[in-house]
Amino acid sequence: MQFFTSGFFWFIEGIFLCLIIIGLKYWTEERNIPMPFWKWLVILIWILYSGFTIAFIGTCLGENEPAAALKGGMLFSLIAIVSAYGLSRLLGFFRLTRHQPK
Amino acid sequence: MEKSEDWRKLSRRQFLKASGAASAVMGSAGLGVFGYQAGKDSFSYTGCESFQGQAENFNRQRFAADHATYEKVGVASRVDARTEVIFSRVSSLMRQWDEEKGLDSLDKGLQAYYKKHPYDLKEDLHARKKIFPKRQKDEIKYKKKFVLAKAWSNAMSAVWPPGIRETPERYDFPRGEQYGEPVEPLKMKSPEKTSQLIKQISYQLGSTLVGITKLNPDWVYSYPMWGRGLNPELPLEIPGHWEYAIVIGTPMSWDPMYANPNYGTSFDAYAKSRIIAYRLIKFIRQLGYPARPHTPGVEYDLMVPPIAIDAGLGEQGRHGVMITPELGSNFRPAVVTTNIPMKTDKPIDFGVQDFCKTCRICAKNCPSRAIPMGDKEVVRGYRRYKINSSRCYNFWYSNLGNIGCRLCVTVCPYTRKSNWLHRTALEVTANDPSGMSQRILSKMQKSFYPSPHPQEYYIPSMGGKNESYREPPWWLQTEDFIDIDI
Repeated sequence: MQFFTSGFFWFIEGIFLCLIIIGLKYWTEERNIPMPFWKWLVILIWILYSGFTIAFIGTCLGENEPAAALKGGMLFSLIAIVSAYGLSRLLGFFRLTRHQPK
Repeated sequence: MEKSEDWRKLSRRQFLKASGAASAVMGSAGLGVFGYQAGKDSFSYTGCESFQGQAENFNRQRFAADHATYEKVGVASRVDARTEVIFSRVSSLMRQWDEEKGLDSLDKGLQAYYKKHPYDLKEDLHARKKIFPKRQKDEIKYKKKFVLAKAWSNAMSAVWPPGIRETPERYDFPRGEQYGEPVEPLKMKSPEKTSQLIKQISYQLGSTLVGITKLNPDWVYSYPMWGRGLNPELPLEIPGHWEYAIVIGTPMSWDPMYANPNYGTSFDAYAKSRIIAYRLIKFIRQLGYPARPHTPGVEYDLMVPPIAIDAGLGEQGRHGVMITPELGSNFRPAVVTTNIPMKTDKPIDFGVQDFCKTCRICAKNCPSRAIPMGDKEVVRGYRRYKINSSRCYNFWYSNLGNIGCRLCVTVCPYTRKSNWLHRTALEVTANDPSGMSQRILSKMQKSFYPSPHPQEYYIPSMGGKNESYREPPWWLQTEDFIDIDI
């Protein structure tokens, strides 16, 4: 059995996802960005979509379909980048942070 | 403020605690899944991965339909295997045709057929008069490129159980091994258990998919083929013991299949399916029941695809080939007719009819333009896409690689390897009643997966470039292994 198609691989992927979420939580806390449930949901969907894009490119390359990897990869990556920008505005990630007085 | 800071610290700690708990749950679950997969995955059957029935993994019950998705619109008429099956017709034409005598040189059956279908005579003779000389000319120049592909195809068909030379009454029934005496059938416990047993045996014999149905007489030839132990001059009376049809089959090797029309071969799957069918009749006869194989290349008493559709293995596509959920069109079936009582499977409807209506990839890529771009027609009492088999067959014989074409099988969006990407696409299209995902995915297929222009598949003498849909696998690239000038 190949490691990357094994359940153990997805176990490690799960740990990575947890670490991403923990890191993101600290980051938003430091910037005083309120993070209600719906924001986490939107971020999770975006992370899954980005993962899909990367996996799509890899799978097409693995299938020896470079044209599909290029065209599909460009389309899905463009959507990922544009949606990332849109989401960052929507979620207020790059607003100027107002430090609270101590 | 201090209070608030404390509250945030506490919250962070709580979060880390929860993360730890979640990680533990996920980690345990992940390890559980890993262990489960390691135990169950067909890859753990080293050397026998294909023989466990695990490839038949589409939830057919969810898409079970009371009726198959073909449409009966009138009185059905059975196929005359002598004239309506292209292989038999062209073979007879080649044997009998005399240029001077014209139609009079043919037997009465062929004469009647060609008088009714003059277009087919024109096309069938076109191969003989125009295509063969051009092909012979190009063969000298280009055929070396396909040496390994041909060698592989011939190797795959080297083991080929001999055909049937006896009537169903003599051939199908089991006989005692010592004296050839009739054998009493064993009493089976239940049709359900027998179905289960027959399917598992078929998987063990190497079949990728298995389906069981009652035999619909409409699918049996009206007159038999030559070489089946039956007199082609007499109508084929359907024997009473052809009650059930067991459909088994295998896919063609995937990488060469993507390099059609030149590098793929039908004979790898033909030979496998044929061997499985002959082994299966042996098994059924050991239980005391009659059984008869109907197998590729051209040894049938019936039409296989509609029987496979009745048995719930798939639906018919625009290209006339059955599309299965697991293998797409890449499936070479064989049938065993028998009367051992079995529970039958239901036909399925997983959205192929709607998909084929708008997709048309096979029709656009067909070099001979044999697949219609338009709507279904009524053929022998059933509404279906009508394939121009004469045009299709003429291309078969023009190309220099392995005999046949199979491009419609290759380009079909359903014909994809079983990985997460294509599996997801299959599940989405099958479960989307609006048809929107089908349109989006077929558009993506057209724009993401380029293909040569249909004319480029032809031989150079006919204005082509000997193209293949994709590069052949490394092990069929002659120039890398054999020191010959290509």
